[in-house]
Amino acid sequence: MTAKRIGIESSLAIAEAVRLANVDVIAAYPITPQTHIVEGLAEMVANGHLDAEYIPVESEHSAMSSCLGSSAVGARTFTATASQGLILMHEVLLVAASLHLPIVMVVTNRALSGPLNIWGDHSDTMITRDSGWIQIFVENGQQAFDQVLCAFRIAEHQDVLLPTIINVDGFHISHVIEPMYFLDQEAVDGFLPPYKHPHALDPDKPVTMGCFAMPNLYTESRKALDTSLRESKKVILETWKKFGEMTGRYYKEVETYKAEAAETLLITMGSYSENAMEAIDKMQSEGRSVGLVRIRLWRPFPYMAFLEAVSGAKNIVVLDRAMSLGGPPPVCSEIRSALYPQEKRPQVVSVVGGLGGRDISPDDFEKLIDIGLGRIKIGDTSETIMFGVRE
Amino acid sequence: MKQGDTIEIRWHGRGGQGAVTSADLTAMSAIHEGKFAQAFPSFGPERRGAPVLAFNRISAEHPIRVRSGVVKPDIVVVLDPGLVTLINVVDGLKPGGCLIVNSTRSIEDLQGEFSGDWTLAVVDASSIARELLRVNIVNTTMLGAMIKTAGAIKMDSLTEPLEEKFGARAKANLEACHKAFDTTVIGKITVGGQKKVRTFAVAKQPTWSELLVGCAVTDVGSTKRFCTGDWKSQHPVWDDKKCIKCGICSLFCPEFCINQQKDGYFRSNDFYCKGCGICAQECWTQAIKMVEEA
Repeated sequence: MTAKRIGIESSLAIAEAVRLANVDVIAAYPITPQTHIVEGLAEMVANGHLDAEYIPVESEHSAMSSCLGSSAVGARTFTATASQGLILMHEVLLVAASLHLPIVMVVTNRALSGPLNIWGDHSDTMITRDSGWIQIFVENGQQAFDQVLCAFRIAEHQDVLLPTIINVDGFHISHVIEPMYFLDQEAVDGFLPPYKHPHALDPDKPVTMGCFAMPNLYTESRKALDTSLRESKKVILETWKKFGEMTGRYYKEVETYKAEAAETLLITMGSYSENAMEAIDKMQSEGRSVGLVRIRLWRPFPYMAFLEAVSGAKNIVVLDRAMSLGGPPPVCSEIRSALYPQEKRPQVVSVVGGLGGRDISPDDFEKLIDIGLGRIKIGDTSETIMFGVRE
Repeated sequence: MKQGDTIEIRWHGRGGQGAVTSADLTAMSAIHEGKFAQAFPSFGPERRGAPVLAFNRISAEHPIRVRSGVVKPDIVVVLDPGLVTLINVVDGLKPGGCLIVNSTRSIEDLQGEFSGDWTLAVVDASSIARELLRVNIVNTTMLGAMIKTAGAIKMDSLTEPLEEKFGARAKANLEACHKAFDTTVIGKITVGGQKKVRTFAVAKQPTWSELLVGCAVTDVGSTKRFCTGDWKSQHPVWDDKKCIKCGICSLFCPEFCINQQKDGYFRSNDFYCKGCGICAQECWTQAIKMVEEA
């Protein structure tokens, strides 16, 4: 396979991936920092480069509702949003998952109001955590391009049929021009089988979707959905394996960076992982025993892979780019509950940072790890550290 | 959890007949007496005519903590005569408990329906309600039968809650209650005294893995099997002599279950007719009468 290397803004690379996936329907409402993706797609449809319906809706609630309908008739469906747009979709997001409609959505992660803030963090997607969508994080434009293509194959697999979010950090990924490798149409066509829903809406073969469930059925319906989501991991791993064989770019649920035999591990998700790598390189060069673990698959949460990745560590510093106001932040909370049943548990310290676009530079990451280790040293890990907050 | 002295009551009625009000008034009266009590309906979509449940718990000693539906009642009150043959109204009824039924059937006839160590009380509450309240809503009437048979609350303590709930109509309701108290016939049900054994269908519930993807329903037209005819307490009867075959009844029927026959006259389909009475209300020549279910 010949791969073309080009320099392009990540948002436009995402649009290109969606075009290559040959989607049937795009329904979206523009919102910063997602706009370049949907503008790119609108242009492709208008210019005849993509044979799809582009539905310019009046709100994100309508965007997701349109996606629901198009996916239910068996059309390959894409949308993208961020922040307030994602939470305006929320009611319909949960229905999409419960109806097993494999919509693919890119969320250019952005802080939630208030105060109004258009910059990046993970608050938006964390509020969607329990909605039944598969959630995958990426760290750069290439990964965004790759994971959008993988997402269609995962979501539409007959054993999965679940909507999927690709989390792409707002601005830090979405608006950055980077070198990347695209795939040609033939390769994508070979990778993505056509989408077929087993009970698609069809006047010739009537079906009821979204029916009512009394207390005698609701529990079973939730168990069925939860099981599908947990078991989707098998297809996710298969898809990434196949994608790796095709491109040489392999993905895992939990990925490590210089983590072997490291005493202290930093846990990150998304684009700041690459900043963190710089810090790890520097600290290791100074003889520090630190490494990095990046969670790529957020839902379903990869408990076993995570435990394996941190099995040798003494200390864990978890960075959350979102808060759970009044409670422990989401990633750390997940990690603590994963570790609790283990006999040998590392010390865990929780750090919140990078909120609403606040940068965490490689230098900052060094400080962040040291502040975390300082807390562990004095045995005070009960409180979450708010990194960089002015006291 | 169950506290020893708690009396538990289960009311069986149909949406719109007032079973919930019966339970409400019972709890309000018991609270008025200084007791602890609760009343609540079986939570769910409200549909006029569909079988519904309401529950009471009363204790002279302890606050009531249990919030689950009553499954082992001391007292069962049936507001709708038709329910006796449709639902196992005595399900879980404790030995020594009371079954109180609104029916025009004789106590001997009804005794043959059940087997258990229970008291049976029968009252023609529909007739009383129609006579004194001019409407077939038997909630307050059946309270009289319940007080007479089981004495879970005192007749006097009902006055205030009734006035609070019904205002100017409280007097007639109290009258109906008293009349039921005076005319309720009380007898015994014995173990093995059952003459007619009925079986009640229990729907098979699917396991989670048996559900189709996304809980889709691919069984086309499955609602056709939904017997909404079970909901009715009255059914329409046509007097063909008055009928001018205009079809207004068919047009207004919200269930689309009134059809024209070959002879040109109209009849309802009992499987779907909910007994709403709209046809009788709309009929220009008053050819339709709503008749109580036996």
